[in-house]
Amino acid sequence: MNCSWRVTTCSQATVALNLLRERKGCFDVVLSDVHMPDMDGFKLLELVGLEMDLPVIMMSADGRTSVVMMGIRHGACDYLIKPIREEELKNIWQHVVRKRWHENKEHEHSGSLDDNDRNKRGNDDAEYASSANEGTEGILRTQKKKRDMKEEEDGELENDDPSASKKPRVVWSVELHQQFVSAVNQLGIDSMNFSLNVAWLLSWLLDPFLTLSFWSSSSEAVPKRILELMNVPGLTRENVASHLQKFRLYLKRLSGVAQQQGGIPTSFCGSVEQNPKLGPLGIFDIQALAASGQIPPQTLAALHAELLGRPTGNLVLPAMDQPALLQASLQGSKCISVDHGVAYGQPPMKCSTNIPKQFPHQILSTEDVHSGFGSWTSHSLCTLGAGNNPSMLGAQNGNMLVGMLQNQQRQQQQQHQQKPSMLTEHSHSINVQPSCLVVPSQSSASFQAGNSPGLVNPNGNFSRSSVIDYSIPVPQSNNSSFVVGQLSNGDLKTTGVLNRYSGPNSISPSVSSSSVNADNNAGQKAHNLTTAFTAGIQLPGLVPNATEYQGSSNGKSTQVLDQGPLRNLGFVGKGTSIPSRFAVDEPDEPESPIRNLNHPKFCVENCGKNVKEEPHLDYIENARVGTPILQHFSPNDLMSVFSE
Amino acid sequence: MLGLGEDRLRADMNRLLTLLFHQGVLDEQFLQLQQLQDETSPNFIFEVVNIYFNESEKLLRNLRDLLLDREFSDYQRMGVHLNQLIGSSSSIGAKRVSNVCVAFRAASEQNSRPGCLRALEVLEHEYCYLKNRLDEVFHVSKSSN
Repeated sequence: MNCSWRVTTCSQATVALNLLRERKGCFDVVLSDVHMPDMDGFKLLELVGLEMDLPVIMMSADGRTSVVMMGIRHGACDYLIKPIREEELKNIWQHVVRKRWHENKEHEHSGSLDDNDRNKRGNDDAEYASSANEGTEGILRTQKKKRDMKEEEDGELENDDPSASKKPRVVWSVELHQQFVSAVNQLGIDSMNFSLNVAWLLSWLLDPFLTLSFWSSSSEAVPKRILELMNVPGLTRENVASHLQKFRLYLKRLSGVAQQQGGIPTSFCGSVEQNPKLGPLGIFDIQALAASGQIPPQTLAALHAELLGRPTGNLVLPAMDQPALLQASLQGSKCISVDHGVAYGQPPMKCSTNIPKQFPHQILSTEDVHSGFGSWTSHSLCTLGAGNNPSMLGAQNGNMLVGMLQNQQRQQQQQHQQKPSMLTEHSHSINVQPSCLVVPSQSSASFQAGNSPGLVNPNGNFSRSSVIDYSIPVPQSNNSSFVVGQLSNGDLKTTGVLNRYSGPNSISPSVSSSSVNADNNAGQKAHNLTTAFTAGIQLPGLVPNATEYQGSSNGKSTQVLDQGPLRNLGFVGKGTSIPSRFAVDEPDEPESPIRNLNHPKFCVENCGKNVKEEPHLDYIENARVGTPILQHFSPNDLMSVFSE
Repeated sequence: MLGLGEDRLRADMNRLLTLLFHQGVLDEQFLQLQQLQDETSPNFIFEVVNIYFNESEKLLRNLRDLLLDREFSDYQRMGVHLNQLIGSSSSIGAKRVSNVCVAFRAASEQNSRPGCLRALEVLEHEYCYLKNRLDEVFHVSKSSN
């Protein structure tokens, strides 16, 4: 009975989650009830598994097979049925050890891992989260563990210290995760359904480096293939498999979060109607696109609103997770600066240098940029365009883009009707925000830093622009390519999360580039993404570029190259010149964009060395996030959901 | 004298408990609870059982209110209460109470109001019996201390 475990109890799941997040390295296992007043136990289970990768043991008086199955499906290490016997509790250590050993094995094979210092000398911490009403059990456990603690010297079997055989486990660092994501993107997430699409979208919005290229899937995203694509020495298929599983859960969770955010679909659709023609393609247009797309309008709206800091009262937006949205807006901020430089390929674009300052309004403040496009207001993140028209560059682009967007809207609207929202219902409101989502918080800072100097170059070259990765999805109805922009910033490298680029001239070839192919089977998804990305991301100029780029068979790509540095889809790092990703010369193959990406012209400048902390701070300053959750943010938190 | 008295009280207590075990009112979980009590937490069982009583009474009251309501239809909520009761009762070692709760839950899953009413009756009876007996045990154990 002498387990020598240090126990921390909480009677509220939300409290427990916060505790776990604050003290990530302090706990070894989590014991949680299934039925709790403030949060579903399975939800907590998922969150803990995703964010902290701790073994979670469920317990309940409810021993029905279906419920136990649910526990397993959500990733529980074990499911204890009340009354819980002491022997069962004594055996909890096996879950901790098992996990450690697996990680150690993984680590042996993997090459680039941090040493996760989880050494706990002789004391395992078990955290119990039990509902208030389960006070009896909670106290029971507490008492038991407390008294067990008193007898540390006995050195019982349960006191087995996994740290003795501890080796660093596979740590899904930001780089690694980015590689993973890009590999997955190339392959496409199999079993894609709508909710996952949305989830992808959300994750993309929240993490610009998560380029989504569903349509580019030519093969399934199975761990083996992912592993091959990632090409990381020492990484095993098992590592990838488990990470993939977590990732899927994460996405699902995101889609669930989105679903929770109430909805204003009607308002969106309404605005769509009101803006039949693209005037200043502002928020409303974005909304329209979003609404017409298959992404839950409310989700997009929320994201958009948040990104834009709810500038207008017209936007009736549900209160989305502030942190998530902030993150998204961070992304947006990054994108915006890029957009300025890139998208329009227009010479001195008035880069709104005030973007960094007003974080919430960053996206909005790009009105001036679109001088060339007239009606377009640049909204960062991504341009989604169902670009049929390759030749959208230049001043004409505005109109064309408008047309395109409208086209797209229509298509999407049709599609939207065809496909009801598939987001699953979530009966529980999530109190716990995905605060650990990967967020390039530094992006805003970096934007600030490099904002004026780099964004727009008189000759349209980005000297210090953010990396934009646009992949162009191909809507079904037309063969335009879908551009999914991804904004990465050289500074982001510091954050690690978005740090796709390991070297100055290296551009991770995955993701975006590969997405540029006219793969119609992804049309449906493309639509989703398109609309999704459009929300808040408008990058009109990019659309056309994407199209031309995609073809690589048409000669218009040169046009692209000449015009805007970032116009296209490449990763443009700070200080890089435009990715000649869209170099026309490329042979007509799916990988051509990738090759372009690796164009020597690229020089991803790591401007962010000094801003590792600053950006974050700036972000916080500018974030104006009212939610207390923000305080939980830390650069580490924002780093990555999946890394330790 | 005192020693004898203590022993006798303790014997009484044990006798009571043994009886409860025989009757199936308590099961081995209660024994585990007892084992948790030691010098560092001398009143462990007493505290835990009291907590159990307090919570259970609330739950029972809720169940009763729910069922006796004419327009009762929220079997789901009843199921939630029942789950809690089952969990806490079984963790205490109150076997019979938790068995009745299980049956109660089955009836509620079938949305059978008469079944639930009957189960509620039995449940309340079992609960009262358990409470009285345990109060007795504690009283005895308290006086022996």
